[in-house]
Amino acid sequence: MQILQVVLLAIVTFVFAIDQFSLTEVLYRPIIACTIIGAILGDLKTGLMIGGEVEIIAIGQMPVGGAQPPNFVMFSVVACVLVINSGLTIETAVAPSLVFALFGQYVVTLVFTIASGLMDRADEAAHNANPKGITTVLNIHMGILGALFAVIAVVCYFGGQALAEPMQNLSTQFSWLTAGLSAAGTMLRFVGFGILMKIMMAGDLWGILLAGFAAAAIFGASSIASATLIYIAFIGVAIAVYDYTSNVKVKNSAGSNVGGMSDGI
Amino acid sequence: MASNYVLPENYKDMTPAAPLDKKTLNKMVWRSLQLQACFNYERMQSAGWLWGILPGLEKIHTNKDDLAASMTHNMDFLNTHPYLVTFVMGVVLSMEQSKAPIQTIRSVRISIAAPLGGIGDALFWYTFMPIVAGVTAGLAQNGNILGPILYFVLAFGVQMALRFWLMYWSYGMGTAAITSLTKNAKEFTHAASMMGIFVVGALIYNMGSGVKFDMVFASDATTSLGQEEAIGLSTNVQAQLDAILPGIVPLAMTLMCYYLLAKKGWTPIKTICLLLVIGIVGCIFGIWASGSYTALVPVPWHA
Repeated sequence: MQILQVVLLAIVTFVFAIDQFSLTEVLYRPIIACTIIGAILGDLKTGLMIGGEVEIIAIGQMPVGGAQPPNFVMFSVVACVLVINSGLTIETAVAPSLVFALFGQYVVTLVFTIASGLMDRADEAAHNANPKGITTVLNIHMGILGALFAVIAVVCYFGGQALAEPMQNLSTQFSWLTAGLSAAGTMLRFVGFGILMKIMMAGDLWGILLAGFAAAAIFGASSIASATLIYIAFIGVAIAVYDYTSNVKVKNSAGSNVGGMSDGI
Repeated sequence: MASNYVLPENYKDMTPAAPLDKKTLNKMVWRSLQLQACFNYERMQSAGWLWGILPGLEKIHTNKDDLAASMTHNMDFLNTHPYLVTFVMGVVLSMEQSKAPIQTIRSVRISIAAPLGGIGDALFWYTFMPIVAGVTAGLAQNGNILGPILYFVLAFGVQMALRFWLMYWSYGMGTAAITSLTKNAKEFTHAASMMGIFVVGALIYNMGSGVKFDMVFASDATTSLGQEEAIGLSTNVQAQLDAILPGIVPLAMTLMCYYLLAKKGWTPIKTICLLLVIGIVGCIFGIWASGSYTALVPVPWHA
């Protein structure tokens, strides 16, 4: 039974590792990955709940321009092992999982660095008009990435079980520490929000930020609280479409006053 | 590796190729999913990109030398947004088909791929995905299996619809598609950022309200009164804050993270470490609400 679990875990981690950058680019997300890992470890429902929690932490932590955020495949695997196999609470499992997520980040960076060596091989195939050569290069890359992650997942599976007892003792003897880790775990999402703001914030958008905050507070206190974010999205679309159309109108009318293209002729 | 290969200026066979059939275009849309399958820091998505458009290139360039030339220049550095890559594919394929000069194809390709990367990040990674996550994560936390299913349907459905639509649109219009796309790119990015910031504001309240103080100052009179009245006289810090502005703690903490990340140049990891310290130190002194625990330092406000 345990062997079956380990084999299945290795296989899905292999797929998730590749899926982070290609395939569907959706399956690896914590909300889906944790549910599947949970099912493998024998507790789909807990996996599902871990996935919801980790997905929120992952908001804003996206790979942009080749820079790697903490690795959420690793995060999902370790969080599921620690909660389902070792019996930690979801909140307490967040901080140790984060350590592995950082490790996963370095693994990805390493693979992306050594994969530069594959470019010569791809060039060679291109010079010879050999499409199969390109396919091989892609397969080698995916194979290395998937295999590394699968191996780490298996190590985490056994490591997590070995950690179970000391972690349990820790949480009873030093309740302030585990409570502190839990509190920090719920705060991690603010880093993701901060990253989003850093990328999108402009001087004229501070009012919009507060408007979103206020709208969520109003919906949150109403009878439609569970659909808050869907209604938020509706309002957001309205604001964005209005902003776009009015700015385009302004730009076009400004252009026609100047005389535009005909000036140079 | 020092290669002796010399890239020609033009293709040998300059007769425009027949338009690609629907089957080949569809095949390339599906192959476009593998854009980052050979991601590396030297040329990023180049090999995945080439693999994606290979079915089209093989149909267009029946001459082996031309195919080699085309494959070689399509191994150039490339970095664009995965959801929008079929737009670049359509434009490049229409130029390959009309046998445009190789240097022209190269410069057009890189000049549309890069800005699309920025637009895609703002639109998908920073607006669309957080909204989808926000809507579905709540379902998952409540143990509803619809959460991950809905997440998959929305995220995968939207990206596939886009990939198909962009491929056919840009291949049909050729280079003319570029002007209609980049003409209002600045306005488009601003509008997307606006929606994104609105959603972030909502997420701060919606998902951040779990962070609370747990500090209750009992008044001096408590000792002489019964338990019931004592509660009425005590001061609960969180309740006071909620009376002024509910959600002020998550708002303040997000603004702090934003300040450190954007103005002080902190890395996300450094900011995460700071939050770990704040969480643990806070619980040493019994400041945060975090289940039932015993504070390391006995303090009057923490039971």
